[in-house]
Amino acid sequence: MASVTASSVKFSSVSCLIKQSQVSNLKKASLSFAGNGFQSRRLPVLRFRVACAAKPETVKKVVDIVRKQLALPEDRDVCGESKFSVLGADSLDTVEIVMGLEEEFGICVEEESAQSISTVQEAADLIEELLEKK
Amino acid sequence: MRRGFSRMNLHCFDRTFIRSSHSLNAVQLPAPMETHLWYVNPSEVKSESLLKQYLDILSPCERENVLRLQGEEMRKSALLARALVRTTIAKYQMNSPVEPRSLKFRKNMHGKPEVCWPSIDDWDPPPLHFNLSHTSSLIACGVTINSQIGIDVEEKKRSIKHDILSFARRYFSKYEVELLAAISDPQVQQREFIKLWTLKEAYVKALGKGFSGAPFKTFTIRFQGVMEGDSEAFDESSTKGFEIVVDSLDDPTDVSNTWQFSLLELDGSHYAAICTEKQSALDGKINIPGKLMVWKTIPIIEDEYVSGTDAVKVICGFQ
Repeated sequence: MASVTASSVKFSSVSCLIKQSQVSNLKKASLSFAGNGFQSRRLPVLRFRVACAAKPETVKKVVDIVRKQLALPEDRDVCGESKFSVLGADSLDTVEIVMGLEEEFGICVEEESAQSISTVQEAADLIEELLEKK
Repeated sequence: MRRGFSRMNLHCFDRTFIRSSHSLNAVQLPAPMETHLWYVNPSEVKSESLLKQYLDILSPCERENVLRLQGEEMRKSALLARALVRTTIAKYQMNSPVEPRSLKFRKNMHGKPEVCWPSIDDWDPPPLHFNLSHTSSLIACGVTINSQIGIDVEEKKRSIKHDILSFARRYFSKYEVELLAAISDPQVQQREFIKLWTLKEAYVKALGKGFSGAPFKTFTIRFQGVMEGDSEAFDESSTKGFEIVVDSLDDPTDVSNTWQFSLLELDGSHYAAICTEKQSALDGKINIPGKLMVWKTIPIIEDEYVSGTDAVKVICGFQ
């Protein structure tokens, strides 16, 4: 996953929302940032979308809710990349986590959206998206 | 509680036999309208060498997924889940030897796992359906022929972090909330909540469209009296018993005509809900309630047929 440090833009492998022409422009932009000028080299086709990564405070709140729901030991590492299933969440835990997030942030998460989140980061990104729409 | 079983004393009427060349004990495919349930209790699997054998029959991808989990209990239960589904499917006599390790799985377009059968000359794969459910303390695999199946197991005593009625108001249907709200004893309420949860999960898993394919709020699962004969008047004395039915708010077709449920208590500690398609829905014939056969197993090592014993208590549904 590439990350353009000059801005807060982060590439994550979710659905592709950018048209092909824009993709190739971005590819060139990232190549020149990297300064290696491989203009003729084709990058593999990536499915990604440009999303503003959720604020660290949001991620932290999600982490806290997840820790509490799953009663994780202190030494268990939980971060943005952490997958709920890998942390030990079964379907009832996941639904409770989503409910906890709804209560914490005052949002409503539709089943389609809930089904698509599998990591802490994805949950945080979805929360901010929903907060923005409010 | 002794059940008096031994490795040699495996019985399933006269339909099982021990294959001496494999450690697996072969079983006949389920008959139409029959449901097979295989379950394992992780605390009964202690041997490290056995766990290594299980790890060995997994695909590289499954192995990686298991080893990535943090926490021995979680790893063990995930490992047993994959070992259970592989050894279970391989048990069925299919006129072609199937090794647990050679089974391939894929997901349907909604993410529901299914077997990806090899294409072998002069061999048609059986229309075998399965569904897996696991908690840290019990793992179960349901198997049918022809019919879609969804199962869910949960500890009877499982408590949730939220208040039960708050949770139900957010996720369950109005009817279900009212039912739960009418229960004054918190312990009874908690048990009924878990029963409802497992039944709803089993239904969604049987449909195979994921959580969003049938949001929990859009359908009601309830217990309904079964009539004796053609009695039109519903009165308590005329009912033979109860059955579990589903009403869908969204689906224009009468879903209760398609799906049937069974709710069991396993080993006195877990609820297991099973949802399968009714025969009448599959072939238009009159529905005959399905038969359920349950085995408690330690994959590769032993199977114990437990239907009719204390290990399996049918709360409602199949006999």
